[in-house]
Amino acid sequence: MDMLIQLVTAFTGSLGFALLFHVRKEKLLLASLGGLLAWGVYLLMGLATDQEVVRYFAASVVLTVYAEFLARAVKCPATLFLVTASIPLIPGGSLYRTMECFMTSDLEAFSAQALTTVLLAVAIAVGMLFPTAIFQLVRRARIKKAPEMPGQERSPLS
Amino acid sequence: MEDHPYHFFSPDELDQLERIEEAGRANEYLYRILDIGQYMLQCGGEVSRVEDSIRRLCLSFGAERADVFTITSSIVVTIYARRFGAVTQTRRITGSAYDLYRLEQLNQLSRRICAEHWSLEQTEEALEAIRSARQYGFGVQLFTYALVSSSFALFFGGSLLDAAASGVIGVVLKFLDRAIRRTEANAFLSSLLCACLGGLLAGLAVKLRLGDDAGMISIGNIMLLIPGVALTNSLRDMFSGNTISGLMRFIESILLALTIAFGFALAAGLL
Repeated sequence: MDMLIQLVTAFTGSLGFALLFHVRKEKLLLASLGGLLAWGVYLLMGLATDQEVVRYFAASVVLTVYAEFLARAVKCPATLFLVTASIPLIPGGSLYRTMECFMTSDLEAFSAQALTTVLLAVAIAVGMLFPTAIFQLVRRARIKKAPEMPGQERSPLS
Repeated sequence: MEDHPYHFFSPDELDQLERIEEAGRANEYLYRILDIGQYMLQCGGEVSRVEDSIRRLCLSFGAERADVFTITSSIVVTIYARRFGAVTQTRRITGSAYDLYRLEQLNQLSRRICAEHWSLEQTEEALEAIRSARQYGFGVQLFTYALVSSSFALFFGGSLLDAAASGVIGVVLKFLDRAIRRTEANAFLSSLLCACLGGLLAGLAVKLRLGDDAGMISIGNIMLLIPGVALTNSLRDMFSGNTISGLMRFIESILLALTIAFGFALAAGLL
């Protein structure tokens, strides 16, 4: 039951942020489904491991593949889906608790919480890095086959 | 030489005049290109995307070489071609807020300009069209604040009552946010006030039995205010080689998070 609530709110939370970031209607659904997917992968990975960092990393990798594929399918920057769909993953709550510990000068809890926050953010950031790099490699390989810069002689400054 | 219209200039001088004229035109093109780059950055485009777009645009407009350096607060571009020599422009960038629709439009625009070699007027018109595109109205934004707040109150394990309280507080925060934004106050001050009011209202809601757990009510509002996306993106920037931009955004998000925690601590102290 808890998981169902989390999945639904991951969807609506992503939808909210997509609206906040001015995503237009036809892409709203795709962006929010990405949030659902990301949290779904996170929950599924719970069966395999109890390492939070690994779960976040896996969710982020799957999410990025989803975003890169969609970016090509609907012709728009992958960022649009990456930013909105990673909303359930981003360590906002953890970041807040870190600063809360800092405010109450509970330094022991602060250092533990700060470490968690940074580790999770690193896991998500690195998870986004790999698929993006692979997609870029594929694109470059394709461009190399095409002729180099056609129409250069028509440029207005020459 | 005899039949040349400007026979009172030597060929060398003519050459120089032409270069100056060309450089003037290059400057105008570069200015428009920087407009596009600036706007992309302000709509939340990644530094690497902005650099790449500017470089491509410069090359498609006839530069033989383009060196672009972008950080979140500034763009520096030098283009070079034998015809006009080296031309440099810089741009100071202030304020950025995610606008993924405009970012998408700008991305498309820069691709089309590269492929079709647009004129200055065409580029200006297209930019203006993107600038004046309609955004979601205030009503939708209010709904959004409520939706995000109650979603995350539930997500982190709050009760339905907590979610409802968090949604209402979210709407109030949006009104406060708009009022502060009109005064063009400091971004940190705005977050501090929102956090403080959010904390006060959450405490009040629990006292009036309109919510079960002030922490759960607040976490929904905190997700609206806390720079979680910025923190993650700052690390992404650093990992992809844009260390300065990444560090700037990292420090900014830490400071913002501290401000928000301070705001809630202040509210707890007042209650």
